[in-house]
Amino acid sequence: MIPRFINVIRQIERNVIYSLFGQPPRELALAYVHNPPPTPAPRKFSIKDIIGDGYLMAVPKFRRTIERRLKRKYGTPEYNQKILLPKTNILVCKECGHHYESGRLCGNCYKKIESETKEIKAKIVEKLGSSPIDKEVIVLYEGENVPDQPQEFWKGKRIIEMKKERPQWFSKNLLQRSTQEPSDSKDVKPTDLA
Amino acid sequence: MNQAEVSKLVSKLRIKVPAEPRKLRSPKGPEGRIDKLRKTVTGLIKYERIELNHNRGDEARQYAERLISEAIRYGDCHKPTMDVANYWLLEKELIHKLFKVLVPRFENCNTAYTRMLNAPRPLPSRVDDKVVLELRGNPYPSLVNRQSNNRLLIQNVLLDAAKYDYRQSKYAEMAEKIGQREEAQALEKKSKEPTKESSNESKTPEI
Repeated sequence: MIPRFINVIRQIERNVIYSLFGQPPRELALAYVHNPPPTPAPRKFSIKDIIGDGYLMAVPKFRRTIERRLKRKYGTPEYNQKILLPKTNILVCKECGHHYESGRLCGNCYKKIESETKEIKAKIVEKLGSSPIDKEVIVLYEGENVPDQPQEFWKGKRIIEMKKERPQWFSKNLLQRSTQEPSDSKDVKPTDLA
Repeated sequence: MNQAEVSKLVSKLRIKVPAEPRKLRSPKGPEGRIDKLRKTVTGLIKYERIELNHNRGDEARQYAERLISEAIRYGDCHKPTMDVANYWLLEKELIHKLFKVLVPRFENCNTAYTRMLNAPRPLPSRVDDKVVLELRGNPYPSLVNRQSNNRLLIQNVLLDAAKYDYRQSKYAEMAEKIGQREEAQALEKKSKEPTKESSNESKTPEI
């Protein structure tokens, strides 16, 4: 209502007053150059406008379930147990007194044996070369003489000599037969008694 | 039933053989698996003791056992066995070893020809389980040389001494108890029959 009224007033002003009294002389008019300020090009919205010098940190987008949270925290026994649990399968080695897991070899003993085995292995491979292997191998250390055993024992066997003393833990008894010889008695045991 | 007995066709192994063969990952597929196992079996026959991952060791062990048992069963004049040995042993000097060394060694063997033991692992760790695979009767120092039954083992000596001490202390305790009881009985007798004191004294030395 009011804008229309203002328009009506303006119409009257233009039509009535200007026709009666004429337009005011141009000399009296104020010199004015219409120079509208340059309109800025419409910019796209950017997140930089908001954060300025700061930076954004990652935030969770979705809720983690209880199960996922617990797994992340404590792991699973099958794959990766993150909690420290006491081990109940540790034994003391009867040979050397070090601890080892039950059902496994003792680490300390095995280290000794492994290094000795490697040496013997290298020696055997060096000695046998690529010739056909047709004889059992026997390892002798320094200071051990051959005729300890009867002649038949050495027959058809290849002797590998290690150029060092036998380690104390590598018992010489291994070369001797530990089982009893079969007896010569002709006694026949009764069978099917019970 | 004219069916052939399976146990007579195939030699029975002395180790546990799983129903399904294990898959070993290889870009070549099943062929690559067999190649891997051939290498391992060759290594086992050559070195007599090797360290492996558990999967491969367990799988190769079965093939090695089978190879040796076939060799013992048929000998070196049997063409199929020779072909099998030729296929499985990549280094041909080992064929001689199989028939000339291993067959005599294992001919009268009642147990499995190989032994597989779990190798130690560092703790805590998430590494694959390692095993030590060896032929029995090898020239290397023994892996299982437990002398737990040896009386001269220091632990056994100490345990014996501890047991002896404990027993002695128990005996002393028992003797003390018996002594106290006898004393109490004697006191009771004294209070009941003070007149027969002289006769009791005369009897004690006889006992």
